[in-house]
Amino acid sequence: MAGYRVEDDYDYLFKVVLIGDSGVGKSNLLSRFTKNEFNLESKSTIGVEFATRTLAVEGKVIKAQIWDTAGQERYRAITSAYYRGAVGALLVYDVTRRATFENVDRWLKELKNHTEPNIVVMLVGNKSDLRHLLAVPTEDGKSYAEQESLCFMETSALEATNVEDAFAEVLTQIYRITSKKQVEAGEDGNGSVPKGEKIEVKNDVSALKKLGCCSN
Amino acid sequence: MIGCEFMWKLGGEDLQGYFPVRSECQADVPRTRFKSRAGKTLSARRWHAAFTEDGHLDMERVLRRIQRGGIHPSIKGEVWEFLLGGYDPDSTFDERTKLRNHRREQYYAWKEECQKMVPLVGSGKFVTMAIIAEDGQPLEESSVENQEWLVKTSVTDKRVLQWMLVLSQIGLDVIRTDRYLCFYESESNQARLWDVLAIYTWLNPDIGYVQGMNDICSPMIILLEDEADAFWCFERAMRRLRENFRTTETSMGVQTQLGMLSQVIQTVDPRLHQHLEDLDGGEYLFAIRMLMVLFRREFSFLDALYLWEMMWAMEYNPNNFASYEKTENGTKQDPRLLKQYGKFERKYVKSGQDEQHHNTLAVFVVASVLETKNKRLLKEAKGLDDVVQILGGIAGNLDARKACKEALKIHEKFLRKANKQ
Repeated sequence: MAGYRVEDDYDYLFKVVLIGDSGVGKSNLLSRFTKNEFNLESKSTIGVEFATRTLAVEGKVIKAQIWDTAGQERYRAITSAYYRGAVGALLVYDVTRRATFENVDRWLKELKNHTEPNIVVMLVGNKSDLRHLLAVPTEDGKSYAEQESLCFMETSALEATNVEDAFAEVLTQIYRITSKKQVEAGEDGNGSVPKGEKIEVKNDVSALKKLGCCSN
Repeated sequence: MIGCEFMWKLGGEDLQGYFPVRSECQADVPRTRFKSRAGKTLSARRWHAAFTEDGHLDMERVLRRIQRGGIHPSIKGEVWEFLLGGYDPDSTFDERTKLRNHRREQYYAWKEECQKMVPLVGSGKFVTMAIIAEDGQPLEESSVENQEWLVKTSVTDKRVLQWMLVLSQIGLDVIRTDRYLCFYESESNQARLWDVLAIYTWLNPDIGYVQGMNDICSPMIILLEDEADAFWCFERAMRRLRENFRTTETSMGVQTQLGMLSQVIQTVDPRLHQHLEDLDGGEYLFAIRMLMVLFRREFSFLDALYLWEMMWAMEYNPNNFASYEKTENGTKQDPRLLKQYGKFERKYVKSGQDEQHHNTLAVFVVASVLETKNKRLLKEAKGLDDVVQILGGIAGNLDARKACKEALKIHEKFLRKANKQ
């Protein structure tokens, strides 16, 4: 994993990307998490935007660097350049628009094409406050996430439901994998990454998931 | 419209009143710096005085004003039509009325063509949900709420299907365009924006609809009362901008301008370029938004318009009208006096370079913005994230006039240095 230690005011810096169809609420999830703000008049994201927040995870200070991307497919050539180095992703759909959920598959493939295989991915069904318009039942999201070994959560950026938890969960997982890997690398004696490490880390991710830390 | 009677007083004249902001959004909008300045800004009186009796326009005089102090909000729309090459200053009122009527008819004919395919066009309503499945089959009615607009038969024509599929994307962007303005509280105004974008997209399948076009189109809808006039003004603006929006699977057109930007910074400020390169930012992707929506996000509404008209005045080329019309009536280009060109364009013409260099003043404006942040970028930016953050902090702090002035200086420096090499 690409999380690295620095001497500054935080222990780890993790890069996370926000992806998903246009209008699912990516930018508002980000502003809710980083500034505790929600903007009803929010504008579409052109290219890529970005924000950070520092938070404590298991006694360590984690700086999350979150890249928010344009949802329209036409921007893909640009936005995918920003996937590089990401150790986590929130793949967002809108629970009131079925089509945005059906596109999740496409996004996941896109992500796999541009990132390391051990990236932590959480599937996020946003706008859960719009219960009366629900078009994607929770079960559908959950079972898709299980099938693809993704974390899963339903959120409402408007009501600030689960937003903090969703990001914290992804960051915690990244931290656990990173620190475990460091320990293993340390035990190896010379600190070098042994061959086949990626596979091992991937296994670790699934192990963590089986523990249920991703369930809603 | 409650809450919209609130207006800002700026330097005596109530300019913000021309584009009132919803009271609950006041705090979120960058403050406006533009002021109408006597003797500098093109006023309605000066504008009308620049026409001869039969309607010939003294463009040279008009350009001089705009480059000094912008255009008064009350006449922006009609002046823009000339600035963007929509009308020939060297024509009479009668000739222009004829041309305007012809264009309106043309627009409404296209609108009817679109209406036949999707009756939603021109209905005063619009969609944010898909009206047809991606494979061209009708959608199941039970799954969608806006059932009445669903396409009932399967569509096989590729161009038609592509167009129908993008209509919901346009809708999703329309509901997020300048919503802090009272103007867009009205659904029919939103629908006008949607209609114009939908029709433009239908006519330009090679480019299609790309997010950001809404930001370019929105001011035209506000400034020009007749929808057809707004369309044509947008169409003219897009002549300069459309290549930025051309996308393939692996590239976006705007990258050409980013490449120019890279070249400019490399020439005029090699240290900054090297620093950005070291941070893996040598592609200047962080400047995409500024170029795609021409600083709409960095400035208040009024200041962005001020910047645009100043740029367009500086880029003004008297041959644009004729070259845009060429396909329609084959007007011959005639050589004009240098004074009738904008400041920026004049330099190119003087240097003997051809006029097909794509209007690049925007690139130099971005360069000027980078230069104003030069010290902080060199000192504080330790990663691309810092670059984005430092540049993100400029909203509401930029002065359009200064930015343009600096851009011209950088342009001069660039030409000088580039010629030496």
